[in-house]
Amino acid sequence: MKLSLLFLAVGFLLVLFQTTILHLLPLGPIVPDLILVLCVYWGLNYPSVGAVLGSFILGYSVDVFSSPLLGLNAFAMSLVFLAVYLSSRCIWIRDSLLSAAVVFAASWVKALALLMASSFFLTPDGLWRGFLQYVLLDALAAAALAPILFFLLRRGQRYIETAEMPS
Amino acid sequence: MLAFLRRNQVLLSSCLCVFLSLSILAAAARGRLRADPVGPLLLTFMRPLQIGAHAVGLWVREIADLSARLGGLASENRQLRERIQELAAERNRLLEVEATNQRLRELLAFRSQLPSASLTASVIGSSASTWFRSLTLDKGSADGVVKGMAVVSPTGVVGQVVSVTSRSARVLLLTDPHSGVDVIVQRSRARGIVAGSLDNGPVMKYVKRSEDVEIGDRLITSGVDGVFPKGLLVGTVTKVRKKSFGLFQFVGVDLAVDPSRIEEVLAVPPEAAPPKDENRP
Repeated sequence: MKLSLLFLAVGFLLVLFQTTILHLLPLGPIVPDLILVLCVYWGLNYPSVGAVLGSFILGYSVDVFSSPLLGLNAFAMSLVFLAVYLSSRCIWIRDSLLSAAVVFAASWVKALALLMASSFFLTPDGLWRGFLQYVLLDALAAAALAPILFFLLRRGQRYIETAEMPS
Repeated sequence: MLAFLRRNQVLLSSCLCVFLSLSILAAAARGRLRADPVGPLLLTFMRPLQIGAHAVGLWVREIADLSARLGGLASENRQLRERIQELAAERNRLLEVEATNQRLRELLAFRSQLPSASLTASVIGSSASTWFRSLTLDKGSADGVVKGMAVVSPTGVVGQVVSVTSRSARVLLLTDPHSGVDVIVQRSRARGIVAGSLDNGPVMKYVKRSEDVEIGDRLITSGVDGVFPKGLLVGTVTKVRKKSFGLFQFVGVDLAVDPSRIEEVLAVPPEAAPPKDENRP
């Protein structure tokens, strides 16, 4: 329970970062998707109903703050979690570099999910223009930050688990 | 059934969330999502946090910008300092060129008053001994310099050529104790010989006690030694001392030419005619 609350607090903190501080970084239009990294972490290291709900809620939060249509990011994050979770049942990933690769792949899954949903529910004029370039940069930025965020989340998870462990 | 649900709870809940989000999407797209109870709550909750985080972010960015600007200023400052050093070196070089130009102009003007056989030479060395005062010139016998030539500058007498090689010549300075030049006091026409000395500096020797010599008197070459043209400034009297005995009085001289500062000179043939203006300094 403590861990779920911690992760949810971290998730909202990341939403806060993504809507404020990360925009101030000199990365042009690219904002590193830390929430995606968190969802991938949950899918790999904390597969639980709480993580599923967390992914959905964080995606929904992003929708509230930035999406043109409510549910777009909730759908994409839920799909990303599902994809990573299914992958984690087949492959065991602990290495930082591999986790960055999974985040990179997850970025593409999310982008495709957004594109599909937008194509279906919206009229995405010009959405394809520069799509590949933006997704690539977005994925690279998220993958670059993944190892350090994974490290911090793993430390936090270990700390809470150790504290919750009965003596 | 319950065991199946428990075993696949993550997968099932994920699928449920996907479908839930799709239904929200569909409802939102069709405009059927009348009220969103979570969104306004979330926005209200996050607003102060966003304001704070944004302010902190701006502050951090300002600090980063400031440090970047400071870095740029430091770099610019370094470049400007280098530029100042370059310009100072350039200025020094130009001043040196100007000074040389001025000296050569004076030398040229002075040379026009001397016989055409006079040679211009540059000083390329000084004496290597404390006991002897000499200079080395960059002109030698191949250029027409001969032993015994008078060496003068626009400011006065320098010395005499004492040895010559094909490409250089050595000049015995007036400050050397072995040198000597016949002079007269410009004001009173009293005669004597100016020579160097190791203890008292240059002195005017053999001046009778009865001769009229005063401090500040200008000494010029007499021309009778056949080496130095008549009328060239040798120096000024700085000290006069008459003892109660002896034939001569002591006359200290401050030479017109400072040998340590001389760079270009004229070598004048021994048989040169004296300059027209005797009073020329």
